[in-house]
Amino acid sequence: MKFPLSWLREFVDVPAMETAAIVDAFESLGHEVEEASPLEPEFSGVVIGKVLDIAPHPNADKVRVCQVDIGSEVAEIICGAWNFEAGAYVPVAVPGAVLGGDFVIAKREIRGLTSNGMICSEAELGLGDDSDGIMVLNTDYPQASESLGMDFASVVGLPDVFFDISITPNRPDCMSVVGLARELAARLDLPLKERSPRLEATADATPLTITIEDDRCPRFTVRTVRNITVGASPHWIRRRLSIAGMRPINNVVDASNYVMLELGHPSHAFDRQRLGDSIGVRRARDGETITTLDDLERTLVAEDIVVVDASDQAVSIGGVMGGASTEVHAESVEVVIESAMWYPPMILHSSKRLQLRSEASARFERGMDPNFCMTAADRVAELLVEHADGVAGSAYDVYPNPVEPLVIEYPLSETNRILGIDLDATTSIGYLEKLDFGVTGEDPLSVVVPTRRPDVKRPVDIVEELARLHGFAAIPGRVVSGTGGGLPPDVVAERKLRRVLTALGLSEAMTFAFIGPSDLDVLRLAPDDPRRDTIAVINPLREEEGVMRTTLLPGLIKAAAGNHARGFLDIAYFEIGKVFLRSDDVLPAQPDHLGFILTGERDADIGEQARGVDVRDGVGILERLGSATGASLTVAAANEGGFHPGRCGQVSIGGQIVGLVGELRPSVAAEAGLKGRVVMAEIALAPLLATVEPWRLVAPSSYPPVVFDLAFEIGKNVGAGNIVETIKDVTGPELESVSIFDVYSGDGIADGRVSVAVRITMRAADRTMTENEVTPMRKIMVEAVESRHDATLRGSV
Amino acid sequence: MNTLMDIRQELQTLASSAPAIIAATTTTAELADAEAAITGKRSPIAMARRGLGKIDPEQRRDVGILIKQVADALQHDIDQRRNELTESEETAALAADAVDMTLPGRAPVVGTHHVIQQVIDEIVDIFVALGFTVARGPEIETSFYNFTALNIPDTHPSRLESDTMYVDFGDADEGVLLRTHTSPMQARYMEQHDPPVYVVVPGKVFRADPLDPTHSPVFHQVEGLAVDTNITFGDLKGTLEMFAKQFLGKDTEVKFIPHYFPFTEPSAEMHAFSNGRWLELLGCGMVNPAVFENVGYDPSAVTGFAFGMGVERMAMVRHGIQDLRHLLENDARVLRQFV
Repeated sequence: MKFPLSWLREFVDVPAMETAAIVDAFESLGHEVEEASPLEPEFSGVVIGKVLDIAPHPNADKVRVCQVDIGSEVAEIICGAWNFEAGAYVPVAVPGAVLGGDFVIAKREIRGLTSNGMICSEAELGLGDDSDGIMVLNTDYPQASESLGMDFASVVGLPDVFFDISITPNRPDCMSVVGLARELAARLDLPLKERSPRLEATADATPLTITIEDDRCPRFTVRTVRNITVGASPHWIRRRLSIAGMRPINNVVDASNYVMLELGHPSHAFDRQRLGDSIGVRRARDGETITTLDDLERTLVAEDIVVVDASDQAVSIGGVMGGASTEVHAESVEVVIESAMWYPPMILHSSKRLQLRSEASARFERGMDPNFCMTAADRVAELLVEHADGVAGSAYDVYPNPVEPLVIEYPLSETNRILGIDLDATTSIGYLEKLDFGVTGEDPLSVVVPTRRPDVKRPVDIVEELARLHGFAAIPGRVVSGTGGGLPPDVVAERKLRRVLTALGLSEAMTFAFIGPSDLDVLRLAPDDPRRDTIAVINPLREEEGVMRTTLLPGLIKAAAGNHARGFLDIAYFEIGKVFLRSDDVLPAQPDHLGFILTGERDADIGEQARGVDVRDGVGILERLGSATGASLTVAAANEGGFHPGRCGQVSIGGQIVGLVGELRPSVAAEAGLKGRVVMAEIALAPLLATVEPWRLVAPSSYPPVVFDLAFEIGKNVGAGNIVETIKDVTGPELESVSIFDVYSGDGIADGRVSVAVRITMRAADRTMTENEVTPMRKIMVEAVESRHDATLRGSV
Repeated sequence: MNTLMDIRQELQTLASSAPAIIAATTTTAELADAEAAITGKRSPIAMARRGLGKIDPEQRRDVGILIKQVADALQHDIDQRRNELTESEETAALAADAVDMTLPGRAPVVGTHHVIQQVIDEIVDIFVALGFTVARGPEIETSFYNFTALNIPDTHPSRLESDTMYVDFGDADEGVLLRTHTSPMQARYMEQHDPPVYVVVPGKVFRADPLDPTHSPVFHQVEGLAVDTNITFGDLKGTLEMFAKQFLGKDTEVKFIPHYFPFTEPSAEMHAFSNGRWLELLGCGMVNPAVFENVGYDPSAVTGFAFGMGVERMAMVRHGIQDLRHLLENDARVLRQFV
């Protein structure tokens, strides 16, 4: 809501105060001030003059010589405008005046005569667009005649303050100057200067017939005005509309817009000759068309509502925009001013669907006061009588079910229960009456809610009004003490994972939860891969954000590829986030996944060769996560579309497959814009975090270990890691560690076989282990590895 | 013939001449030779010890003491010299092992937590310290929980596809959507838990806003909810002011200005004075009784406050980020700053 302070002052006598104080006052009421800036005249030294006499210039045809009384003297001024006669009150820039900041007016010779100043146009004064003639003040500013020789700026209300206030959607009543004035008056404890329009009406010779066939128009009022002269509005109306962000059109349209801004209620003026003697409201027909005032043809649906003429032709989309066929034009002499109430949800849907959001629809969609329709129409008529030579005609009102104000029973205890402060009956009644609520009773109060306030429906809404007027700042604060519970185990565990991952050198990425369908093609997922069964976004912002992700891999690939494109190749990113999978429930399954991507080189140093990442970096990270969370995580060879067939593994936790780790196929990586080996992993988070019990300390043994090495020959495809698993499987708690320290093939090893050397550390918690004790254990390990993996021990036990 | 006089004489000669010999050595090897000559098997001291048996027993003790005095004094000199020579020889050897100390260090790579996650954790921890717990909820949500349960009418513009992204899943009439705020968890949590409730809910939310410097279709919020028998607007004010002081600094000034949300009444925005200007920090209000009714709570028995804040906004305020897109592009040069 944009307006100058001077307009507000017509409704409340705001005392002289700092603009900041007015801003604070509005803000304390919940009306956020987007802008409050001074409106200064763009001129100085301009006074009000009266043209006494006009004579032709002896040496020029296009200018005239005017004798202008400027109070202190009668000045001779040469003027090129012809839109005034003797007797006109005009703004005069006297010598020394400055226009537009730097244009200094001086005495000037024009064809042999001296011009002692300049009579100014709107454009020259920065007060409007009109530069065709000078400003004539007699009609628009009649008070000018009492201020001869005085500063002109005060006549147009300058200096002033421009306000732009954002109105919350629950307060349609504040989408007007009077609405905000009512609020400010309540805050400042000043009276609101409201007045009813005064009309001397004479009945229409031919009455209008009004037919309302749709209950989504609960009230329809009309005032006719005859004998009008369509032309420009007075300067002050045009100027206020411009400040409010609306374009002046003509005195009829401007009057309607002016009243909407001033009083809040939108109205529409039809040309009576074009409309005929009948007006009605009905549901639109599917496919029905209407050309609206912006000269666009609109196709309607049955949910829309239209105003129709005598021939049942749509002449307006109710509450949204008028039609071109009945538009007021330069020769219009009689207008029909419609001021109705429209069902808000219908206005919302029609205006959104038609992409036709007007100042009117913005008000109707939030809800106007049905009991104010006639007043608004009459105020438009009043302006037309005053500024378009009009004569008020008949009033018409179709209002089958008048809306009664809501009465709310309000127990005073509710104030303390919700706000934590006590307000007594007198204080509470005082606050409510300032806001124009009617109040009777003491406790409970019977509060009569003005019908302009659709937001006030229950006692808690009264609490809000009391809190606003009392001031939120006056309510003392108190810090709650909750019932505890702290961080739930899953949050604790997830935070731990993040700490481990960052300590391992990975940074946390965040990618969008939606991907493009083609992102899954890049990964070469099989046609029947469940990850292809995506859930589509019905109204995506972009095609490449068209489906919900079923895997974190595409987002991570894009994150890394963006960096590769910028020349940053060494990437280690992880992401924890939801994927979205079809289910038979009300909602999709939305499990959290952990994914990571590694590219580029590691261990780069001055004068030393860096090494590229490979799949074992990925496996190592997963193993670290397993040991950090206590999950028994294992990796087994697997084949997965899009991944390197010899460098891809299935990840299991406690025997359950939870995801995969591998290097992308080089061609897949290249297609995705990635350089070098690309290691990726993705696992479901829940199994990893399943062990949520706090870890228990294992006291370190103070006894010495027994350390020995074993070397086995196994088939190339057996998987050396299985030897470790088997040794763990068959050895008791004395096994402290088993690790592979060499894998070798070539001389001395049969084709198709590899030698795997493992180092085994045994240590008991309560004794020094002896060779006699270890030997049988070693034998069991060897036999198990040999029998389970077709292995042979190299050397002897 | 070693006489008593001879022994005394030799020891005195040694005591006066040996220190200069020791001091004159320049390497540990030279010192070892000198040590052998002075205290070794053929040294005057060894000879003196061997000759001690032939001395008159009455003199033997005095001579023994003299031998020990001389030997100890010389050994002290030798040890001291050895320390000096060892250190200077080590220093000389280390010169070849010198490193240009202006070279950068060999730093292990440490990853960073995303600043959004850091801010979420920080906000959550502040409320956990005040006795709140944490819950999280689905990102694909029903329009019932996202709107209806929160008292947002069927006709509210936020339900339109211009604001909310819907997904092709389940019952089309109901409308399954990407949650537009974390507030649906207010309703879900209250349905699942009896009062009292003190919970914060961090999470991703979605709006049909194209990406620009201040908008993203995906962003994060932290929701909070406190419901008990005696929660008032004063509790809301005091608690959120405490939060602001914890998050932005203890001298942070806040103000509450009335606002509108369908699920709270009265509603407010909390603004905080930070870096010389007032910033809108979060939206809040007293839980609307209609929401209590929707989740089966008795609005005459309990009251509550709720709040929601945008995490990106908090991060931008804190870290001087002008363009939201920096938080979304996963640019390595940005992520590495999230230390």
